Amino acid sequence: MNIGANDPYKHQKSFQGHLFLGSSPENYLWAVLSIFAVTVFGQVLTPHLDLTNIVLIYLLPVLISAVRWGRGPAFLASSLGALAFNFFFVPPIFTFAVADIQHFFTLVVYLLVALVTSTLATKLRDEMHKATQGEQRALALYDLSREIAARSDFDQVLKTFVDKVAQAIDGMAIVLVHDPQTNAMEQIASEGADSFFDKKEYAVARQVLEQGRPAGKGLGIFEGERSLFFFPVRAEDRTLAVLGIRPGGEASSLSPDQTQLVETLSNLAAVIIVRLELAKEAEQAKWLAESERLHRTLLNSISHDFRTPLASIMGAVTSLIDEKDIYTPETRGMFLGTIREEARRMNRFVENLLDMVRLESGTLKLNMKVCDIQDIIGVVLREMRDTLTGHPVKVDIPPDAPSVMADFILIEQVVINLLENAAKYSPPDVPVSISVGVREKDLVLTVANAGPSIPGEEREHVFDKFYRQSSTRHVSGTGLGLFICKGIIEAHGGRIWIDPSPEQGNRFSFSLAAAGEAPDRQNS
Amino acid sequence: MKGEQAMSAQGARILVVDDEKQIRRMLKAALEGYGYDIAEAASGHEGLSQTSIFHPDVVILDLGLPDMDGIEVIERLREWTEVPVIVLSVREHEDDKVRALDAGADDYVTKPFGMGELLARLRAALRRMARSEDEPVLALGELSLDLARRSVTVRGEEVKLTPTEYEVLKYLARKAGRVVTHRQLLLEIWGSNYQEHSQYLRVYIGQLRRKIEADPSQPAYIITEPGVGYRLVAAD
Repeated sequence: MNIGANDPYKHQKSFQGHLFLGSSPENYLWAVLSIFAVTVFGQVLTPHLDLTNIVLIYLLPVLISAVRWGRGPAFLASSLGALAFNFFFVPPIFTFAVADIQHFFTLVVYLLVALVTSTLATKLRDEMHKATQGEQRALALYDLSREIAARSDFDQVLKTFVDKVAQAIDGMAIVLVHDPQTNAMEQIASEGADSFFDKKEYAVARQVLEQGRPAGKGLGIFEGERSLFFFPVRAEDRTLAVLGIRPGGEASSLSPDQTQLVETLSNLAAVIIVRLELAKEAEQAKWLAESERLHRTLLNSISHDFRTPLASIMGAVTSLIDEKDIYTPETRGMFLGTIREEARRMNRFVENLLDMVRLESGTLKLNMKVCDIQDIIGVVLREMRDTLTGHPVKVDIPPDAPSVMADFILIEQVVINLLENAAKYSPPDVPVSISVGVREKDLVLTVANAGPSIPGEEREHVFDKFYRQSSTRHVSGTGLGLFICKGIIEAHGGRIWIDPSPEQGNRFSFSLAAAGEAPDRQNS
Repeated sequence: MKGEQAMSAQGARILVVDDEKQIRRMLKAALEGYGYDIAEAASGHEGLSQTSIFHPDVVILDLGLPDMDGIEVIERLREWTEVPVIVLSVREHEDDKVRALDAGADDYVTKPFGMGELLARLRAALRRMARSEDEPVLALGELSLDLARRSVTVRGEEVKLTPTEYEVLKYLARKAGRVVTHRQLLLEIWGSNYQEHSQYLRVYIGQLRRKIEADPSQPAYIITEPGVGYRLVAAD
């Protein structure tokens, strides 16, 4: 790490700054040249003009120097003007002697007026300059806050921020956000600033973070060869991030105005980071509350939906164990049938629960194969034989129904859920129907029953998780079946819906993209 | 391998390999009721040693064992014995079923299962050990295949099959009651270059169903085993 004294360039620079009162040597040259021009001009006009008028011309370069080149050149122009006027115009000419007391008076007044006007003009110039800079700063801040208000993503906001800072200083900027949990610093850079600094400078950024004080040329703790500055981004008593900047162009240090601008911007950045952190916390709290609610509903559902079939099984089994002689064979058969059916129901419930967890966690893997919808329906009907007793099933599959690209087992699960619902929510002996159709390039499967229609306002909620219709709460169910159907169908890129205006009963349909051309049916 | 007496259900020896005590107890009680002779093993290693001591006619093997992978048990068994293996698996692991079958298991039953289903698998597995390859007529309910005449009759009427359809049906009928994986069928009918072309199968199975099933949308003979393969059963 270089300390200021070892930096010859820095030393020279400050010396220059002192000698030339903040103006560059060229500006002094311009002041000298303007006096020279006025002298030549004056020589030309001497035959026609009075001396008191010629001295007025010498005020011109003083004013110009004050406005354009600053206080130093203006002073130089004033002094040189007085000397040149004396030397070239005041008799005796080509000497610095003054013969007439009147001319001496003219010279003194000229010098006084020149000095006063140049001071005033310089002040005016400085104020103008400050006003312009203030306006620029205000504009930069306004731009930044407007762009940031439009974004809520942490990284995006900080990217906007560094881009604005880079623009404001006409260089490059980088922000290193400190994560208190991991103690790591995440870096977000403006364009081209990715390879901003080396390991050593990274260590300086760390130091800035820990000490909360700026570093860089003229700022204190770190003065490297490169023009690199670090500012802490602070809120209350902690440092949230470090803003690193490298001014563009020739400038190797920051002007006080730039420093002030950067400090203002980093204050703004602190506000932004705090705001985003709060938003993140609020989001997390909301998510926690939501997942807690889901857990509660899930637990309620599990305890209810496991206990209902268990109650039937326990009732039937204990009846058979305790009093096996008082029941007729038909009653015993009924008990045993109940046990079998309730056990199956519990198994389906477990499958639905597992599917739900897989859908939610994103671990549902689709085993996509070309499937015949007829084959899927056949498997479902075989599996549901006992559940569907009492509900005649009408199947309508056109012989040219296209095959679909799908996960056989998951689509089977969807059809089972739809069919189970159709049977469950319709009175005994009411038929249910499965029909297959083609709509454009999609295959559409519809399961319909003739039971009581779901009221219009409830229809849009039937696919929600744990949603149960208010009028059918007495029917045992989980509120998961249709939610899972929707998840599975959407994972296949298909759509599932309920007929919005059935004349009677309910019609649930889903669509799946038809598979491409079936392979040639070789009749070998 | 046992002699002739093992071929009938009466007295056939069954080894149940499952780490769940309740399942073993239930299977033992139920199967003994049907006249089978039962031995139990609670782990893969115990199952392997019991197989060499007990000489079962069928092994019922749970895939989820505590000490070793069920697939590995099958592979180790197949190193020295052709004893039929019926795998017990849960629905979530479809791939395991196929892997078990390809490793040499004969059939599978998904937990939870009905006893009727397990008994049917057991009988089919025992039949494999009894059936001779050159039986001239294979009959399943109202479906019969006359292998000598290459003719197929269903519900008293002869049906015309293409040569490939006939080969598919014959292979299924030879293994009647047992699951046949896609891969096994493809290997048998089309050879090793077509192992991945299960769409061929889908097409031929569809055609066969249209010819032999009373209602192709609710097949009674050729049953699809989702994700695994097909099974030819006697229509009920």
